[in-house]
Amino acid sequence: MTRFDAIVIGGGINGLTAAAVLARRGKSVCVLDQAETLGGMAAPGPDGAPRGAHLLYNLSPAVRRDIGLGNRDWPFRSAPLPSVALSPDGRHVVLRGGEATNGDSSAHPDADAYRALHGRLAKYGALLRQLAENAPPGFDGKLASRSALRQMMRLGWFGLGLKRLGRDEMRNFLRVLLSNAYDTILDEMPDGPMAGLLAADAVRGAAAGPRAPGTVFSLIYRMGHGGEVTLPMGGMSALCSAFADAARNAGCQIETGVTVTRVLIEAGAACGVETADGRQITAPLVLTSTGAEVTCHLAGPQHFDIEATRRMRNVRARGTAAKVNLRLSSLPAVIGLSRDLMAARLIAAPSATYVERAFNPSKYREMSPNPVIEAVIPSVTDPGLTSGDSHYLSAIVQYAPCDLEGGWTETAKRALAKATIDTLATYMPDLPGQITASEVLTPVDIEAQTGAPGGHWHHAEMSLDQLLTLRPANGLGRYALGPAGLYLCGASAHPGGDIMGLAGRNAALAALASEGRK
Amino acid sequence: MSVFTDPALGLIDGPFQPRLAEQSRAKAWYGWAGYIAPAVLDSVEFEYFALRNQASLFDISPMHKYRIAGPDALAAINRLITRDATKIEVGRVAYCVWCDEEGMVIDDGTLFRLDDTDWRLCCQEPMLTWLLDATWGFDATVTDESDTVAGLALQGPTAFSILDAAGLDVADLKPFDLREVEPGLMISRTGFTGDLGYEIWMDRDAALPVWDRLWEAGALWGLRAIGYEALNIARIEAGYLAAGVDFQPIHATERLHRGKTPFELGLGWLVNFDKGHFNGRRALLAARDAPRTLLLKVDVEGFKPATGALVYHAKRREVGHITSGLWSPTAKRNIALAHVKASHARQRPGNLWAEVYTSQEGQWSTRMARLIPLKTPFFAPPRARATPPGRI
Repeated sequence: MTRFDAIVIGGGINGLTAAAVLARRGKSVCVLDQAETLGGMAAPGPDGAPRGAHLLYNLSPAVRRDIGLGNRDWPFRSAPLPSVALSPDGRHVVLRGGEATNGDSSAHPDADAYRALHGRLAKYGALLRQLAENAPPGFDGKLASRSALRQMMRLGWFGLGLKRLGRDEMRNFLRVLLSNAYDTILDEMPDGPMAGLLAADAVRGAAAGPRAPGTVFSLIYRMGHGGEVTLPMGGMSALCSAFADAARNAGCQIETGVTVTRVLIEAGAACGVETADGRQITAPLVLTSTGAEVTCHLAGPQHFDIEATRRMRNVRARGTAAKVNLRLSSLPAVIGLSRDLMAARLIAAPSATYVERAFNPSKYREMSPNPVIEAVIPSVTDPGLTSGDSHYLSAIVQYAPCDLEGGWTETAKRALAKATIDTLATYMPDLPGQITASEVLTPVDIEAQTGAPGGHWHHAEMSLDQLLTLRPANGLGRYALGPAGLYLCGASAHPGGDIMGLAGRNAALAALASEGRK
Repeated sequence: MSVFTDPALGLIDGPFQPRLAEQSRAKAWYGWAGYIAPAVLDSVEFEYFALRNQASLFDISPMHKYRIAGPDALAAINRLITRDATKIEVGRVAYCVWCDEEGMVIDDGTLFRLDDTDWRLCCQEPMLTWLLDATWGFDATVTDESDTVAGLALQGPTAFSILDAAGLDVADLKPFDLREVEPGLMISRTGFTGDLGYEIWMDRDAALPVWDRLWEAGALWGLRAIGYEALNIARIEAGYLAAGVDFQPIHATERLHRGKTPFELGLGWLVNFDKGHFNGRRALLAARDAPRTLLLKVDVEGFKPATGALVYHAKRREVGHITSGLWSPTAKRNIALAHVKASHARQRPGNLWAEVYTSQEGQWSTRMARLIPLKTPFFAPPRARATPPGRI
């Protein structure tokens, strides 16, 4: 069958979510992914090790409900992980929720300050979450319409939530929301590994250092569901299968290894796609989980307004985070850290200043000689993932800008791997001898493999000028992309990436709503 | 060659400045797109009547000119303008408007199809960055020719005879036709006066010999160089819009709701919804049947020009304003262009009044002048369209 009610380009978490939501509302849906493995940036490698994303922060219960996985639990178990702020002197800091201790479980001097800051950020996160879960506000109909009233209610609830913070806390919220993470963190604690970890979390995947305005927002963004970091048991495959199965169970047809070469537009409306193998698949709805600019090229700029094309090509999506995946012969040891804690999320960012310094070279299209690293060894928590003593270590490495001076040659990739391993070896001296295989995925590789613009973690920078109705750009904030029936359902749409599925869900709902209006 | 003769002066000389300076007795200059340009050379009456009864030569070099070329030029232009560009044949010129995404007019101008893949857009407002945006993603290049191409408007009943006397054969040129009559010399039967007339285009460096050639040929045909004031009378009589006067180019406005759709400017005939997408199409589809105001051609009671006057319904309710108005020496009428609320323009056009201020030897008073909306142009002589044009 080459005729569907909807085509979803890209079988990442957002694409699969959009497809499942549409199919559950009775649409016949076809999902096309250029890769062989579903999951997009969350897709695991051939051996089941995490390849792109490796942890979950913000999986949305609203998504779970809407793709038919029920109200209670995900079909896979997930284990909450502590976070460890690594320190070169062996005085690591262990963070579990709002509690901070030293590596040896003794009390940390800044534990109270951390608890207070964590509590505040989580409270703000919960407040912002309701804005994240729904489509950005915007009235395209009459003010008295049902959808407009619902939106007013929502904004009203947000205002009420703001009021409920109390006068001082509301002021504080408004003060720090647009501010920079560096100052906000160092207002509460001295610079050190704990501050470094928070600063690193505030800029993960971003083309910004912690001193950039708006980085407090990205820190809060991770706290939308309390800030708990979890590891899916069974690896990222368990997660991706859950979404793929949900889509299949809803009746979607999923094809992998299919590249879309054109989006077909007729009489100002999307009418299907053309694939690299020469097929035409028709559907009055086309949802795309790649970026807006790529979609514009696929469809042809003549179908878009000039202002829209200008905004699309000026969306800032400069990926700065690379992945370095290591295969290890045995479990490395961190000096001063117990074996149990090797399961933790390990952050190599000994201070907030270190993070800012790591960012500096990327401004000049260079990689950081001393990168910021988030490393996880999932096989400690989930021994079923590997056999024998072997393990794998998955590392997100910043900063490795997509537009590296001279390009990402093999030499450059080796240099990045070396910088990563050298940095990790500061804490794990035995690591270099334990590596049996390594893989470097630069933002350029990530873009080629997943279609994420600029290889950016969120498909578009999560900065204040690219959020809510301005995400990915002014006039494109409500998922619709110019020609009727064409929608953006990827992470560059509100509320962004981070394996939430909300962008896909909201885009599908927007497409359904506009069908209803026809 | 730099066009800056003396940057300290600000305004720069256009290609015809040596001749214009020679002709200028009034020394009434103004700035037009950075060039020094004549408002009046001698006296506006002489110049206007030369335009309507003999022939006039007006320097249009300060107009902005852009070359759009390449295999995708047609597709890019068709997305840019509201008209169907595929219907403009090689050797033809089309008057057109282009809009922003909200359907508000950015500017109007003339589009020359020089070849299959080669176009020139001539307009009042600077448009380079917009055209660069408009051609992004298309295999087409944009070149700003504003400073390298010179233009002259030869307008008036003897214009054809002058070209003929100058050895330039344009007898078969129909209105909006275009031809390279000699290498490097292009003539289009276009103009801004509503009369018989031609526009002559050449390289900036070749400008002065062309002027001299026409001037010599025009001696027996009453040719006179003119300034903007005379031209402005003629263009209002012809009912043509001036950007910044009769509509506000949307990119030049900062306040909300200052823009106008083509429908509100009486240019709905330039909008083709059947040609596929063009900029502002989605917005214009919605705006087509709901114009906020309409542009009316009106006959104003009395003879005091009504420029800038507010328009009232039943002398009480303010419903619009007049943008351009004057006593037309040729139509023998007090004419004006008025923006009027659509409801009143359509349903109650018989009770519209302009509030005109008059001074009688220093004694100021206000007067309500009745407006009579006209369906036909103020001035449209058959000679403007006759091919071959009549000789006088």
